[in-house]
Amino acid sequence: MRKINLTFTLNGKPYDIEANPGARMIDVIRDDLGLTGTKEGCSVGECGACTVILNGDAVASCMVLAGSMQGADILTIEAMSELKLGNLLQESFVEEDAVQCGFCTPGFIMSAYALLKKNPDATRQEIREGVAGNLCRCTGYIQIVNAIENAAHHMREE
Amino acid sequence: MLKFRDYIRVESKAEYEKAIASIEGPVLLLAGGSDLLVQARQDDRYEDHTVVDIFGIEELRTIEDTEGHLVIGACVTHEAIAQSLLVNRYAPILAEAALSVGSVQIRNHSSIGGNLANASPAADTLAPLAVLNAEVVILKDGIESVVPLAEIFEGPYKTNLGDRDLIVSVRVPKLSADVRHDYTKVGRRKALSISRMTIATLLQTDENGVVTRFDMTMGATFPCPMTFPDISAMLVGKRPTKEDISEVARALSAKIPEIAGIRASTRYKQPVCRRLSVRILQELIGDEQHA
Repeated sequence: MRKINLTFTLNGKPYDIEANPGARMIDVIRDDLGLTGTKEGCSVGECGACTVILNGDAVASCMVLAGSMQGADILTIEAMSELKLGNLLQESFVEEDAVQCGFCTPGFIMSAYALLKKNPDATRQEIREGVAGNLCRCTGYIQIVNAIENAAHHMREE
Repeated sequence: MLKFRDYIRVESKAEYEKAIASIEGPVLLLAGGSDLLVQARQDDRYEDHTVVDIFGIEELRTIEDTEGHLVIGACVTHEAIAQSLLVNRYAPILAEAALSVGSVQIRNHSSIGGNLANASPAADTLAPLAVLNAEVVILKDGIESVVPLAEIFEGPYKTNLGDRDLIVSVRVPKLSADVRHDYTKVGRRKALSISRMTIATLLQTDENGVVTRFDMTMGATFPCPMTFPDISAMLVGKRPTKEDISEVARALSAKIPEIAGIRASTRYKQPVCRRLSVRILQELIGDEQHA
């Protein structure tokens, strides 16, 4: 299969790459760009571990073909420490013990980031719905929802 | 790595028509990918297919408010439908159904046109589109035509659309504000479930409580989306009593073995349909009337 050319912005940096058109977005991010913070769990869009932000929207990067990256503005977990809300979320996840094995954490933080960017005043129920596409088998979710709620609170205060 | 023959991304309908004319071999239209990417993982079934990615065609991503209809572009995402003020005003049952699709990550990268073309009997938008009397605009051999929704379906995961036929949009007649609706989804778990059954209901009454419009159908139950004029006729023109409601519930659940045959799920689905139908209709009609 011939390669396709992709130009896009990822974590604020411009890219111009050749990709296999059968590659999924997660393949490009992890294998071609070497950004392994994005995790592959179920591979069928159910677990949310691979969540990234594509043009402002949370998407499951295992359910998006590489071609959709053309011209796009993409954020992955690697950018979070450099962004105010991302940083608050990371700190809040640590403070609230919302991380146990950690495999789901990047996906949760990306979903929370997309949600709070669109709706900074999200209620607890809206937060629960916003991360309904992310599975965690360790924490039981309460700490995760607490962490997102706290980060939103700090964000509003600043 | 998924196996395709080639991948082409098109940005307009004109580019699309040019692309399909020059492609040799079967074409696979990509309108988001939440079904296609799952299916492509299973085997090499699409090895000789050329993927034509139509998800970025702006003309297919608008919701237009015409005099009598909402015209929803095929590539409008489920999330955009769920959040659309127009859809929430004129076809709120469809907004609710779109919100029940998958998770926000899936809703952001899946489309109503893709949902129709995939033709899963469990597609959440089908029962609401059926009671709304939706039509589908198809581009075939350079000509656009409007066909009733049910006409494109042949069976589970099967439409009569050719691989180069494009669903352009879905035309949904606008509901007036006094049409009440209910969308109920039964799944194996609360979030992110594939529907076991959906029930879509529209009900309108005049100032005397006489039913002027009634449409009710199930999804994830029949091979194709269905509407039932005989069921509608059971309430139209009446001020429904408790008995009328029970009759409708019985008649609706009787459709399950009648149309889908006796299946392993029939013993479960029939009573679920009957009891939910009673609950839905009591709620929509209001308790004062059949007290």
